[in-house]
Amino acid sequence: MDLQYSEADREFRASARAWLKANVPQHSRPAEGFAAARFDRDWQRKLHDHGWAGVAWPKEYGGLGLSGLRQVIWYEELARAHAPHHINTTYVAMMHAGPTVIARGTGAQKAFHLPRILSGEALWCQGFSEPNAGSDLAAVRTRGVVDGDHIIVTGAKMWTTDAQYADYQELLIRTDPTSERHKGLTWVICDMKSPGIDIKPVRTMLQDEHVSAVFYDEVRVPIANVVGEIGQGWSTALATLNFERGLGFIGDQLELYERVNRAIDLASKTRLEDGRLAIEDDGIAQRLAAIKADCIAIRAMTLADIAETDRTGIPGPKGSMMKLMVTGTHKALSEVVGEILGWSFLEFDGDRTAHPWTYDYLWSWVFSISGGTNEIQREITADRVLGLPRSR
Amino acid sequence: MYLAPDGDEVEIASAAAAFVADAMPIDRLHKPDSANMDAPLRELFGEMGWFALAVPEALGGSGLSAVEHALFFREVGRQCGPVDVLAQCLAANTATDDSLRAQIIAGGRGVALLVADGDAHRLIGSADSELGLAVTPEGARLFSLGGIDAEARPALDPANSLHIVGNVPHPFEQREAGGIWQLGQLGAAAMLVGIAEAALDLIVDYAKIRETFGRKIGSWQAVRHPCADMAVRVEAARSQLWYAAAAVKEARGDAAVHLDVAKHMANTAALANTDANIQLHGGIGVTDEHGAHLLLKHALLLSRLFGSKRMLLRRLLDARLED
Ligand SMILES: Cc1cc2nc3c(=O)[nH]c(=O)nc-3n(C[C@H](O)[C@H](O)[C@H](O)COP(=O)(O)OP(=O)(O)OC[C@H]3O[C@@H](n4cnc5c(N)ncnc54)[C@H](O)[C@@H]3O)c2cc1C
Repeated sequence: MDLQYSEADREFRASARAWLKANVPQHSRPAEGFAAARFDRDWQRKLHDHGWAGVAWPKEYGGLGLSGLRQVIWYEELARAHAPHHINTTYVAMMHAGPTVIARGTGAQKAFHLPRILSGEALWCQGFSEPNAGSDLAAVRTRGVVDGDHIIVTGAKMWTTDAQYADYQELLIRTDPTSERHKGLTWVICDMKSPGIDIKPVRTMLQDEHVSAVFYDEVRVPIANVVGEIGQGWSTALATLNFERGLGFIGDQLELYERVNRAIDLASKTRLEDGRLAIEDDGIAQRLAAIKADCIAIRAMTLADIAETDRTGIPGPKGSMMKLMVTGTHKALSEVVGEILGWSFLEFDGDRTAHPWTYDYLWSWVFSISGGTNEIQREITADRVLGLPRSR
Repeated sequence: MYLAPDGDEVEIASAAAAFVADAMPIDRLHKPDSANMDAPLRELFGEMGWFALAVPEALGGSGLSAVEHALFFREVGRQCGPVDVLAQCLAANTATDDSLRAQIIAGGRGVALLVADGDAHRLIGSADSELGLAVTPEGARLFSLGGIDAEARPALDPANSLHIVGNVPHPFEQREAGGIWQLGQLGAAAMLVGIAEAALDLIVDYAKIRETFGRKIGSWQAVRHPCADMAVRVEAARSQLWYAAAAVKEARGDAAVHLDVAKHMANTAALANTDANIQLHGGIGVTDEHGAHLLLKHALLLSRLFGSKRMLLRRLLDARLED
């Protein structure tokens, strides 16, 4: 056991910190819409132009090829610098479409897509879930019929985050109509400008429209856009999900520590209805301290997991446990801040920039449902970590 | 950077596991009057050098570090080892007199823990110990227990006897500064992590064999999901324990913060996991002959030593971490 960073790691931290200090955008991200997507692309381009894009991507594909530990350092510095949050409209492209193409794509797919993703030119969205296929992803029914050198896609996807802004989609379809469950699926790159695609934004409880239902009416996708092989889409999809469940949330994990300190700061400045400072209330103080302990332990868990993965080269099954811990802590923190802020917490008009804490509170459910619900994470933990008899 | 037992540490951990399980198995607590350590057992621990892992070689110890100390106490916790083991070990790190230290390390003189309770002290561990050790974040004090009046009290936790001591004599050795408190926090946190792990292991094993309605209970989600939550608590508490142990070893400026967090996470994990373990066992879980209640009762005691919830959380609000 040791907590030593190498000299090179420390230099990396110092240079990341210096660069971020000078380059983090001064104006905050627009709350929503194409302006927000523009902001995200610009930030991605800036990272790219200064050699900071793709910390996890291999060097041969234009990334930095950093070890897990260096990635931790990078995300800690992002959080410290209050840099734009990494879960934004570039997230799917950077955190799973790109890595999936790197792992399973053809040479032509890599050559075309990877530079566009890294530079922020292309945004992606994820079309896996359907109205009747969420937790049970293998129930996907959106149909793909091979016709010459194209696949004709018809059906509907649901919950597609940022579909309106995306240039491409990672699309999971059933290409063998006689197949069931995990067989007969195919993972394709779908150009979101293709004729026959209809995007219908869905208003969420956050009062935003960042998810959409996407309808496909005989959309023609070139066979050259298949990632992996026709009929092997489940295997490709698992690769995608592994990226998301591995280091995908590392930024959130490490950012929690900054957030709890901000909440403690808030509690030392904000007065309760009875005139006392919130931090003088024993209940609030104790809950904040307990959450802070959780955040510090989450950091230790992250480092333990990363160090193990750096050594073995194989991500362990701990991502699900991490997500359970992080989503629970996120919600507990949002709840206590709700009490600190009193009535003003309820003055929410859907503007996440003006009311970040209320927005974050509402986001708790997005966090514990999307990317595999907490119940599914418990199932994965029971199966893969504890080896309990299967429930299904 | 590596946050798990590694190299020689792995061997020390497995040697400790085998030794403690053999010399002081949790099943001993099913027999009456099994609390504390008797002299032969203490001497056996002493012979193997377990009380002096973190004592420098020049002072008669093994010259290892806080990390090995934590690895050992995790195993002591798994077997619900008495607080005497920790008191003995901390006294070995406190004593400045060479021959006294040698006797403590060898297990020749027993040490029990003294904890202030209002005007009096609670004595936790064998009342026939010759020495008492009181530890606070400010320092450690060693007392002679010879001739003092100790009033026996009933003890919920069968691993330790409890006494109340009205008048504590003057300490004959004392040490300012927090090094002993740190080892105490680390040891207690490690024992609690061991308990939290033992509770999880018990229920996972049982859930694989016990059947209801024609299925293993481990296939019911109402059992699987609390088990997954137990695993999360273990993972968090254990990762933080390793972090804190390494922080003490490397004398990092924020070691005290990491210890407080480690003790808090260990308190929480042990109390919640021992509770869930009883519930998920059903009726067998509340029987005296099952080990589930032993883990709970020992966790209740340990969670009050070297940082109770209120004390730790008060300290954590303003704490700051280093990179
Ligand atoms: C804001 C948001 C953004 C999203 N973005 C995307 C996206 O960009 N792309 C995409 O493909 N998907 C996306 N999703 C979809 C997300 O992955 C699914 O919502 C999620 O996997 C749950 O599926 P479901 O909604 O169909 O719920 P269901 O699967 O119907 O689940 C209903 C309830 O039953 C529980 N449950 C289901 N099965 C089990 C089981 N076996 N054991 C125990 N409990 C179970 C669930 O935990 C849940 O509580 C997003 C979702 C949200 C809310």
